[in-house]
Amino acid sequence: MSLVWLRVAAFLYGLASVSAVAALLGRSREVWRRICVPLAVTAWLFHLVASAEMLVAAHRWMPVGMHEVQSVLALLIASVFLAIALRYRTLSFGVFALPLSVLLIVVPALGPDKYTFSSPVIRSGWLYLHIASLLMAYATLIFSLAASFLYLLQERRLKDKRSPGFLEWLPPLDTMDQIAQTTLIIGFCAMTLGLFAGSLIAQEHFGSAYFADPKVLLSFVMWGLYAVMLFVRRSTGLRGRRAVYLSSIVFLVMLSVWAANLLSSVHRFSAS
Amino acid sequence: MKILLTGLNHKTAPVELRERLAIAPERLAAETESLLSHPGVQEGMILSTCNRVELLVCYDERDPELGTYLNRRFSVDAAKLQPHLYQHREGEAIRHLFRVASSLDSMVVGEPQILGQVKEAYAAARSVGAIGANLERLLQGAFSVAKKVRSETQIGSSSVSIASVAVGLARKIFGSLEGKRVLLVGAGKMSELAARHLMQQGAGSLMISNRTYERAVGLAQKFNAHVIRFEDLEKRADEADIVITSTGSSEFLFRTPHAQQFMHRRRNRPMFFIDIAVPRDVDPSMNKLDGIFLYDIDDLQSVAAVNLSDRSREAHHAEEILEEEFLRYRRRLDALDVVPTLVSLQSYAEEVRQAELRRAHSRLSSLTPEQFAAVEAVTRGLVNKFLHHPLRALKDAAGAGDAGTVDAIRSAFQLPERPEEVGGISHPSLTSTREKFHE
Repeated sequence: MSLVWLRVAAFLYGLASVSAVAALLGRSREVWRRICVPLAVTAWLFHLVASAEMLVAAHRWMPVGMHEVQSVLALLIASVFLAIALRYRTLSFGVFALPLSVLLIVVPALGPDKYTFSSPVIRSGWLYLHIASLLMAYATLIFSLAASFLYLLQERRLKDKRSPGFLEWLPPLDTMDQIAQTTLIIGFCAMTLGLFAGSLIAQEHFGSAYFADPKVLLSFVMWGLYAVMLFVRRSTGLRGRRAVYLSSIVFLVMLSVWAANLLSSVHRFSAS
Repeated sequence: MKILLTGLNHKTAPVELRERLAIAPERLAAETESLLSHPGVQEGMILSTCNRVELLVCYDERDPELGTYLNRRFSVDAAKLQPHLYQHREGEAIRHLFRVASSLDSMVVGEPQILGQVKEAYAAARSVGAIGANLERLLQGAFSVAKKVRSETQIGSSSVSIASVAVGLARKIFGSLEGKRVLLVGAGKMSELAARHLMQQGAGSLMISNRTYERAVGLAQKFNAHVIRFEDLEKRADEADIVITSTGSSEFLFRTPHAQQFMHRRRNRPMFFIDIAVPRDVDPSMNKLDGIFLYDIDDLQSVAAVNLSDRSREAHHAEEILEEEFLRYRRRLDALDVVPTLVSLQSYAEEVRQAELRRAHSRLSSLTPEQFAAVEAVTRGLVNKFLHHPLRALKDAAGAGDAGTVDAIRSAFQLPERPEEVGGISHPSLTSTREKFHE
């Protein structure tokens, strides 16, 4: 049943993406603007139900397989988008966040997962924290990058002094900066918490050998970079072009951590 | 007397060129005086605003080559200047002046400053004796047209002013204006307006700096603002988020090195410079720095121009009023042009004299040629004596701009309707007579 809800959610996210783009670029913007958020909220509810059912069916409360992780990440991204839409009154992020959610849940929606994470520790309470926090960190980092990118676009537009109508929808620079900073801080807290929980589990079950694993090492590199980025941004008020470079580097590292599953011996999803 | 108007404006020339020709208000009178001494110029006025530099002159025969005057006066290369200049003569010059004064030729149509600027130009020209009867009449006409356009259309009230464009841009940068600090450098109508607008929209506080400290203090009292000494400007400008400059300085007040320091001290928090001055107060290359947003007058106006469509209807209405007033002015001018009346009055008298002579021809046939010539002379003298006072009165009325007297004399003699003149071109048969009368 969860697959059906997930497919409905994917479809609704798709519609919401279209309406978000139309709300920002199309002719009758007000109409699209009014239907975008309800669509996204409905999709989010279906998505929530699907994820819950998926986890209930697996008799655990945490996403472990690739499909489940993707689905929950998409749920988090949609949540952050909705939070920003309500707090800052801007749909701009929908242009990338909603399609991203669609992309993330398309594969899980197609069929059940072949791969699952097999480990005796997956019922540990610390692991909930580990996974949930890290997924949250990923989601917010994506938003931070997007906010920096939109900042750059808006900055270019203001500096070029032409006013091309198709960028009229961009929120003010300051709003974008606030979003980038806030999501970054939330993401950093989540990532610290996630890594801390992960380390505790690993220390308890595997001992120090666990920390020589490529994926785990990369994770700490990512955390370090994240910390540096946060420090640089806060101390120098980094904005615009340089902020985008910095966020992009951290984002690439994050992707490589995600991909490092293939190299990892202890932290990988294996065929069951 | 012929009218010639030449110059350049925001539509024909970029700000780089306009700022080289711009004339500071305090130099306007002296500049007008030198225009007056240019060969051929009888009356003259110079209008210099941030958007236009225009010379308006009256001349008699010799065309005063104003292009060469501008070249020489401002040492701008003739080849560079020529493509940006426009020239209007007679009717076209009058219409153009009316359009300018009514703010229909402004980039931001309906902006209220231009009429004041035309009045200042007029006052400066008057103070050096460059305004004669012709320009006096023309400018009074322009002022009343501008007043009429303003009172009968909505063009001014919904004005998308520079100020509101500046506010919109500030919003795009800072989001809300709450708590933002504004610095006003130099004082001018437009910059005050922009500052007032920003404060109304919630900007936190206002600082004022001016070369004359007392002036800054006076303004600060009016706006409830702080004063920054002009010497401290480079040190303290970074306290403001929005800087509006409008000084008469011929040098840049802010350059890239200043901006780098500002950004360093502000930890890269963005700064918005609004440069209303012409010549500009802020080095345009500053805009290349991250976090600095610099808009000069042209930039603001091109943004404003985008928002204009909703006012095109009012502008259209204003154009109609203007055209009506232009025709009325022309008719009045024509009515005051008494030459046709003088001519027809004289020819009427001559016809009467000739007719009377013809009627008496049979009774006068016994006269010798000498005697006949004496009769001719007597009748001609009589007619001239008789016409002397009406003709004098006509000329006086024309000089005093009294169209009523002209009409009264015309109807007293039951003169036929005057021949219509089209587009400011005189009836050809009258031209030679007219010249005789003017002499």
